[in-house]
Amino acid sequence: MKKIIYSLLMVLTVIPFLAACGGGEESSGDGNSSQEITVNATSEPPSLDPALATDTTSGWVIDHLFEGLYRKNKSGEIEPAIAEETEVSEDKRTYTFTLRDAKWSNGDPVTAGDFEYAWKRILNPETGSSFAFYLYYLKGAEAYNKGDGSVEDVGVTAVDDKTLKLELKEPTGFIEKLLSFWSYYPVNQSVVEENENWAAEADGLVSNGAYAMNTWEHDNELSVTKNDEYWDKDNINMEKITWKMVNDATTYYQMYKSGELDMIHTLPIDVISSEKDSEDFKIKPYFGTYMYMFNVDKEPFTNPKVRKAFAMAIDRESITEEIAQGGETPAYAFVPKGVDTPNGDFREQKENYFDEDYEDAKQLIEEAKEEEGWDELPSVELMYNTSDNHKKIAEGVQEMLKQNLGVNVTLNNQEWKTYLDTTKQGNFQMARMGWIGVYVDPTPILDYYLGDSPNNRTNWVNEKYDSLMAESKEVQDEEERMKILHEAEDVLMEDMPFMPVYHYSQNFLTSTDFEGIVYPVNRYPDLRFAERK
Amino acid sequence: MYIVKRILTMLLTIWVITTLTFIIMHSIPGDPFASDADVLPEEVLANMRAKFNLDEPLPVQYVLYLKDLAQFDLGPSIQSETRDVNTLIADGFPASAVLGLQSLVIALVFGLLLGIIAALNHNGILDYASMGFAILGISIPSFILAPLLINYFAVDWGMFPVASWGTWQHTILPSVALATAPLAIVARFMRSSMLEVMNQNYIKTADAKGLAITGIVIKHGIRNALIPVISFIGPLAAFLLTGTFVIEKIFAIPGIGKYFVDSIFNRDFPVILGTTIFFSTILIVTLFLVDISYRIVDPRIKLSSKGE
Repeated sequence: MKKIIYSLLMVLTVIPFLAACGGGEESSGDGNSSQEITVNATSEPPSLDPALATDTTSGWVIDHLFEGLYRKNKSGEIEPAIAEETEVSEDKRTYTFTLRDAKWSNGDPVTAGDFEYAWKRILNPETGSSFAFYLYYLKGAEAYNKGDGSVEDVGVTAVDDKTLKLELKEPTGFIEKLLSFWSYYPVNQSVVEENENWAAEADGLVSNGAYAMNTWEHDNELSVTKNDEYWDKDNINMEKITWKMVNDATTYYQMYKSGELDMIHTLPIDVISSEKDSEDFKIKPYFGTYMYMFNVDKEPFTNPKVRKAFAMAIDRESITEEIAQGGETPAYAFVPKGVDTPNGDFREQKENYFDEDYEDAKQLIEEAKEEEGWDELPSVELMYNTSDNHKKIAEGVQEMLKQNLGVNVTLNNQEWKTYLDTTKQGNFQMARMGWIGVYVDPTPILDYYLGDSPNNRTNWVNEKYDSLMAESKEVQDEEERMKILHEAEDVLMEDMPFMPVYHYSQNFLTSTDFEGIVYPVNRYPDLRFAERK
Repeated sequence: MYIVKRILTMLLTIWVITTLTFIIMHSIPGDPFASDADVLPEEVLANMRAKFNLDEPLPVQYVLYLKDLAQFDLGPSIQSETRDVNTLIADGFPASAVLGLQSLVIALVFGLLLGIIAALNHNGILDYASMGFAILGISIPSFILAPLLINYFAVDWGMFPVASWGTWQHTILPSVALATAPLAIVARFMRSSMLEVMNQNYIKTADAKGLAITGIVIKHGIRNALIPVISFIGPLAAFLLTGTFVIEKIFAIPGIGKYFVDSIFNRDFPVILGTTIFFSTILIVTLFLVDISYRIVDPRIKLSSKGE
């Protein structure tokens, strides 16, 4: 009997030993001086087809693969890219672009026809693109996309291979920003027509930007290499970019620590305090706002004074410093920092729209009670979508409202898609939401609360606001446009169908071996100009 | 005859599962196209719904789905713009299966060994040690064990890469993390089964006849003790092969485990159905194989349908 036990024990101990052999040399950390960088996309990009991509992860890769008529340069400013010359008509409705000599990664020339084809493809109802509405600024685009118009009436025409004519519905002040956005990127017509699934695998994907597709193992990693056909390739130093798809925060943090990743974003909250002082650590503002929407059709939020009082009664500093902890900044308005205007940053031109003043807030509640004839403030339920972080913040707000305002708020949470359904139907009094601007301008932020915006779940409709926003889209003078947008935000913040909590931020650990990485306020880092020292 | 009947029952089971999943899945609130960036005009939404047949009444959708299913087409994924459900599974299954197979082997080899050692050393030090280990294995959740393994074996000692997929080194830590709990269960199963068998009269008889103890343990003991363990291996194999959400997430493995969970949060109906059907098929097939292997281990067991 003993013998058997011992021999079995032998087996038991020998196997792991054998298994461990050869595990010694491992492949991680190709710590040489080659111009390669490995970053983390956290998940598989749902689509690398510029017509179908709707998320920032896909956009991150697409921005390295493709290039539009305009692009962002090293300092984040918009500059002409494929457009060599731009001619604007008197009425500012017609743009004629002369394209530079640019090539696709397969050697084909980039033609005006590729642009026309790409834009009409997005607008084609059969493509089912959810970002088609970003092209509604083009004449006839909306009608075609909604099935009421024909493709011939869409305001984009390739006059010849080098000349692209763009007709706008209205003069549009921020057209260059739009043209640098991925929905306006060209696609190679012959490649796309040949293979409907051209962007699904590394093999078929042909691009015209700084990088060309190299490998793509779904859900695992994706790599791109410098595009030798790129017209501006002399200014690109990084030879290869690899995106890993590691979703778990602790895991990608450990991969960064072991050198398997050169840059990570969104650190696990519990390591932020220990990394804060490290040279690798960076906090960058992110162009978005975390907020609580008020349903203005449900008591007590029918009264604007109650909405204002709630906004004034929470301590944003302690929410960002003690609860969120990721470098967020307290928000006292809707449009975040980051918009350059002729007179400096849009946000910095205005003071805070309200103060955190608990006494005044209490006073407002009393006034509201009197106006409405309430003996007690109607009970309030605060809703958020199920998540630990939202829960912590909601509990903080609940406590603050109780302490500072003497109001009891109950909490309720729902799983994301159910939550979207509930809030869309207006079955809430006060509910959490976040909003990030697709391009850095007050417009995509402020459009959120337009009366007919599907995002506006508050039932708040204000004619003056809507007409100011409409006016801002037609004005050509940038200073004038910003003035109108400020007025619109004034109207919004006067009525407060929502209360801002904080402006988002992004945090990073980036290996100090690299320089030249650009951190845009509404995108993941731009690695095109990165370089290993 | 038995095999034909079994296959027909299997098909029927899959149909029932498909139908139930279809009904339950459509009764959860929420829209696959809803997002916080709810900017789509109704007309565009209608286009997208039409693309996935979601504009049809439910019974029609159901029939359309069964039609595709009969041709082994699990339909397009709503979430992934470019890959359909067949491709998602084809892309992800190999990684999950490699991981699952390795864990299965680890769990079986070490689990059986531990169980046998414990049983043969009943109430001895080795018995307590292996059962103590088994209890630890069952009670430490994999989402704790996995980061611990990473922390020591990858970050501190640099023996293996932290996570991701590609070389065989990448497979070791997740296999171990995934195998620990089933290993412990197998060990406990095997121990009690072995104890029972070793007390049987035929073992005593064999011993009395003066047969070598090694022969008795291997030929009579282990072989008979395996039967209850085999019935546990069927479902275990199905679970391990089809991937697990937690391990695949922590180790960033491109498997199919996450689709079981993510598809529900995304209301990605074709993926919910596809993964459920895929999992049930594997489960049903392994159960079938288990039934057949009983016969090999114990020829007395007859394969027959009920009532015959």
